[in-house]
Amino acid sequence: MSTIQHYAAPRSLEEAADLLRQGNVTVLAGGTDLMPQSKAGKLKFQPVLMNIRNVEGLRGLTETGGVLRIGATTTITDLYDSDLVKSRLAALWQACDHFASDQIRNAGTIGGNICNASPAGDTLVPLLVLNARVVLAAKPNGALTQRVVPLREFFVGPGKVRREPSELVAAVEIDMPPPGFVSAFFKFGTRPALDISTISIGFGAVYEGGKLRDVRVAFGAVAPTPIRAPHVEAALEGKPLNEETIVAACDAAGQDARPISDVRASDWYRREMVRNMLERMLNNVRNG
Amino acid sequence: MSAMVDITFKLNGINRKTRVSATMSALDMVRDVLGLTGTKYGCGEGECGACTISVDGITLNSCLMFAADCDGRDVMTIEGLAADRKGEALRDSFVEHGAVQCGFCTPGFVMQAHHVLEKNPDASEAEIQRGIEGNLCRCTGYRKIVDAIAGVAAAAK
Amino acid sequence: MAVKEAVKDTEAKTAADGGTLIGKRIPKMDAPMKASGKTRYIHDINLPGQLHAKILRSARVHARIKKIDTSKAKALPGVHAVITAADVPNQHPIGVAKDHLPLKTDRVRSLRDEIAAVAADSVEIAEEALKLIEVEYEDLPILSDPRDSLKANAPLIHPEPHGADGTHDHLKQGMPIAYTGKKDNIAMTFDYAQGDMAQGKAESDIIVEDCFSLHYVTHCCMGVSGVIAEFDSSGNLLLYSNTQVPFLHRREFADLLGIDPGRIRIIQPPIGGGFGSKLDIYPFEPIAIYLARITKRPVKLVFSREEEFVASPTRQPVLLRLRSGCKKDGTLTFREVDTIHDNGAYTSWGATTPFVMMQTISSLYRVPHCSYHTKAVYTNNPYAGSFRGYGNLQATFAVEAHMDRMAEAVGMDPLAFRLKNAQEPGEVTPQGMNFKSCGFKDCLTTAAEHGDYERKHRDNATKWNDPNPIKRGVGMASMLHVGGGAKIYQSDGCGTILKIDDFAHVTLITGASEIGQGSETVLSQLVCEELGLPLSAVTVVNNDTDITPWDVGVHASRTTFIAGNSAIGAARKAKSKILGMAAAKFDTTAEALDLRGGFVIDKASGKRLVDLSKMIRSLHFSDKAELVMTTFYYEPPSRHQDREFKGDVSAAYAWASQVIEVEVDTKTGIVKIVKVSAAHDVGRVLNRLGIEGQVEGGIVMGQGYALTEDLMVENGTIRNPNFRDYKLVTAPEIPEMDISFIESMDGEGPQGAKGVGEAPAICVAAAVANAIYNATGVRMTELPFTPERVYRALHGKAAPMTWSDAE
Repeated sequence: MSTIQHYAAPRSLEEAADLLRQGNVTVLAGGTDLMPQSKAGKLKFQPVLMNIRNVEGLRGLTETGGVLRIGATTTITDLYDSDLVKSRLAALWQACDHFASDQIRNAGTIGGNICNASPAGDTLVPLLVLNARVVLAAKPNGALTQRVVPLREFFVGPGKVRREPSELVAAVEIDMPPPGFVSAFFKFGTRPALDISTISIGFGAVYEGGKLRDVRVAFGAVAPTPIRAPHVEAALEGKPLNEETIVAACDAAGQDARPISDVRASDWYRREMVRNMLERMLNNVRNG
Repeated sequence: MSAMVDITFKLNGINRKTRVSATMSALDMVRDVLGLTGTKYGCGEGECGACTISVDGITLNSCLMFAADCDGRDVMTIEGLAADRKGEALRDSFVEHGAVQCGFCTPGFVMQAHHVLEKNPDASEAEIQRGIEGNLCRCTGYRKIVDAIAGVAAAAK
Repeated sequence: MAVKEAVKDTEAKTAADGGTLIGKRIPKMDAPMKASGKTRYIHDINLPGQLHAKILRSARVHARIKKIDTSKAKALPGVHAVITAADVPNQHPIGVAKDHLPLKTDRVRSLRDEIAAVAADSVEIAEEALKLIEVEYEDLPILSDPRDSLKANAPLIHPEPHGADGTHDHLKQGMPIAYTGKKDNIAMTFDYAQGDMAQGKAESDIIVEDCFSLHYVTHCCMGVSGVIAEFDSSGNLLLYSNTQVPFLHRREFADLLGIDPGRIRIIQPPIGGGFGSKLDIYPFEPIAIYLARITKRPVKLVFSREEEFVASPTRQPVLLRLRSGCKKDGTLTFREVDTIHDNGAYTSWGATTPFVMMQTISSLYRVPHCSYHTKAVYTNNPYAGSFRGYGNLQATFAVEAHMDRMAEAVGMDPLAFRLKNAQEPGEVTPQGMNFKSCGFKDCLTTAAEHGDYERKHRDNATKWNDPNPIKRGVGMASMLHVGGGAKIYQSDGCGTILKIDDFAHVTLITGASEIGQGSETVLSQLVCEELGLPLSAVTVVNNDTDITPWDVGVHASRTTFIAGNSAIGAARKAKSKILGMAAAKFDTTAEALDLRGGFVIDKASGKRLVDLSKMIRSLHFSDKAELVMTTFYYEPPSRHQDREFKGDVSAAYAWASQVIEVEVDTKTGIVKIVKVSAAHDVGRVLNRLGIEGQVEGGIVMGQGYALTEDLMVENGTIRNPNFRDYKLVTAPEIPEMDISFIESMDGEGPQGAKGVGEAPAICVAAAVANAIYNATGVRMTELPFTPERVYRALHGKAAPMTWSDAE
């Protein structure tokens, strides 16, 4: 049994960063991953358990100068209830809609979803599509500093991210997409939510005059981390969205998706679904 | 043994002070420390909703919440809701619509139903179904639970 | 107060005023407490001085136990006892074939196997102590496919006696496998035959053969398993137990402990779901008892959800081969069935489900010639218990999918083909079942009409090659199940004690257990109907073996029928006593009087003569003082099967047909159930609210069996012991349910009713398989119809299910 020697609930980012600098800290936000993982023995507590829920300024959405900052303790429900997310970041909103259950959406945070780094993490796929950046706060020399890492580079493997033990994920930043940007999220499952993705697909692009540009495609649950799909993107970028392009994009998906077989599906089936559902999504975009 | 944490919070309208282990879940605190057994353990992993409680007006799976995180917050369990007029209306509707069989999941459903209706008093049938998607029931097939919740929504109009 | 208003129910009042309660929507009596979180389940009960127990289960699927060292665990502060088989030298084997010791001796045969147990001051300490127990194993080869277990040189699961178990001369039923070992891996066999198979084959114009594979599912009761055991200072055992069969268990525990059954008291707190899972004794119960005996303290043992998945019973997987023939006009000629049941490592009720399976195979339709053979085979997999439907989900899936195939082969509409061969009232089948009431044909036509079956079935089949990837299909399936008890044990009866107090309040003491199905309410209704009282005038006592009279248990959809008839019997005796006395008082005959609305009334005029409570008080507080207390025992007029499995085991039989419409996404393989049109012959509707709940819940359970639930067992290991990957149906997934009740008014049933508890889950999988075929032209023979399995089948990538008879 890993034992916790100290429980802390800092109220400011300064305070939280101080604790992290001292080391040996497990960070608690919503608890929806931490609690079951610790009970199952998959996660060993550090001597200090730090609850960041009360840290001021970490929760909520703010848009300044075309950049949306989502605080780390913003819950999935907060995102789902945001008119801005619903109207401008459709893929992210749809991912929140398909996220676990109401009770978990109420507790789970965006920062937690990112740090948990599940290959199937629901919000991660649309965040990749939105070119999100992770804002990490630390206090290396007594002063609060920030480091910004593109989300795409943040994931290392299942449950592993490029966060130093002394750093706290403070926020996610997104450049608000340009006018004409359409995005969508698809999660494969037999239920609307309460399901771990068998595969998921995020799509975003500016669709104008029948052509696609600024194409971003991401996949979940087909690799050790959520991934962008560069081959698919290349097959779509600047192309007219017609039958031929869609077939080419679906063919290219096979080069991007590297799924495994597990309790939820076989690798073969995952590949098939990536292909079929990408085709369906692109047709939906095409048909408005 | 893990560190003990002293917490002060409101439980069903009453200020409480208690001491909990840092690793303890809010579920275990409510049941084993505070003796309120209406909140049920169903899975311990947030997959069944039997342990649903309300914290600061929103519902959570208490099995996933750290007890220490209740500090300073306003917690309501089924015991609190059942003593409230709105809880009574839900209880009566569950009873009248036949939404209770073995009843083990029922407190969680009543808690979540309350939250769904507080957030959206005009919830449609489909919205109610989505609202309770995190609560499992093995007996009823959900039909009568949805009817019971819709019945409360209709009566409020 | 609001609770009262909720329960009061205007319709209940009608009954008291002279109307009837039968067929009305009556809320469950226990519902207000449950919906307020006030009901105390076993998990919520704590006794003073209680210890908490946890079980150490095997870390290996099949292995010899070389050594167990519990010394470190014993030394942990807060640990009161650590036991292994060595600490309980006279273990008595449990289970249907007595092939199972609660604590394993020198061999583990599955991952659930119990090696040691701890009683400690808290659950946390007990769990910590488990980690300190050291076990040395020597791995043995794993058998995870029953076909492998049947091979000539297969390793044996029970090759030797289970160890030094001391004397066991008190055993009566021959030597249990636990004491003798078994020289093969066959746990049980069943062979049934009727008619002349050669003749049946000779008369056939068409013969169809199919193979089916049915999977593991488990009950997933929302309340996990648990027990509290306590001995008093005289050595009497008090058990708080979730059992569905308290009186049978009393006997078994007595054998287990070597004490008189009279010294065992079982109290059943409200149960968080049963569904058949609590019909057998499982090792955790004796283990808690051993720990209580050793520590002399109350011991509580409650599972975690993962443990519930790993160590509670399952519905048994079945491989089934079915051949049937018919004449050109569609008349069935013969049916030949072989099955292999995966028994798991030990034998519980799962092995005996052929009793029910063969009824469906021989008697759902008129089949003159029939043979049926089952082998229940040991493997190192989880062992199978009883589960709502008891083999009938498996048998009906096969028979009803096969019936569609035959209809196609003979060129008939599936509905017409079924009507041609369906049973009718009054038939006695070659197996001996006597269908005194039978609404089968009504069920078929009603479900077909509500589901618009014939038109849709015709139209859908023309659209297999349409470009739209989303297809629609309809399918039908029907079932036959016991509906008037099942004579399995020496008695299939139930006793009632009924007392009416000075205030005309009735205490109904029944042997029948409530497991959420609503028996309290239905029994009260039946009593009120006799005594002319409102529902609020009844209290039910039903959960304490020291108080309640014998009942064989809550299983086989029997409680409404058997306990209902018993309750009616007791109420009629009370009524007769009251009216007899009233007749004397009013100088008339008992026949001229009745009880209505809480009064003794004059039957002809309806005039109220005296308040019932006043009448009873005058009987009680008089010089001929007497209380109104009656007893009644009902034993149904059914018969045990003979050695050839022939007999009329139930006093009545239930029928149902369901038409199911599905949507199949051929690009994903996702199957959605859009609508279920169900028609159930229930004899008579007693509590409309309750029966709807039973049917809806059963349909959704059947939906899970058909589409989403799959306990994945690989090499003896369960890969998905959690709700994340073992998928119960959730609220947004439920279909539209259009339910019709066929009231065949069974002559033996209480107010004409028959049992319904198991029926609604039984047809779903077969109807869905038939609907998928109607939508796509692809026949699914392996359950469940998960997206990937359906998608593979649609793309011709499903490995055909083959019958490898490994004899």
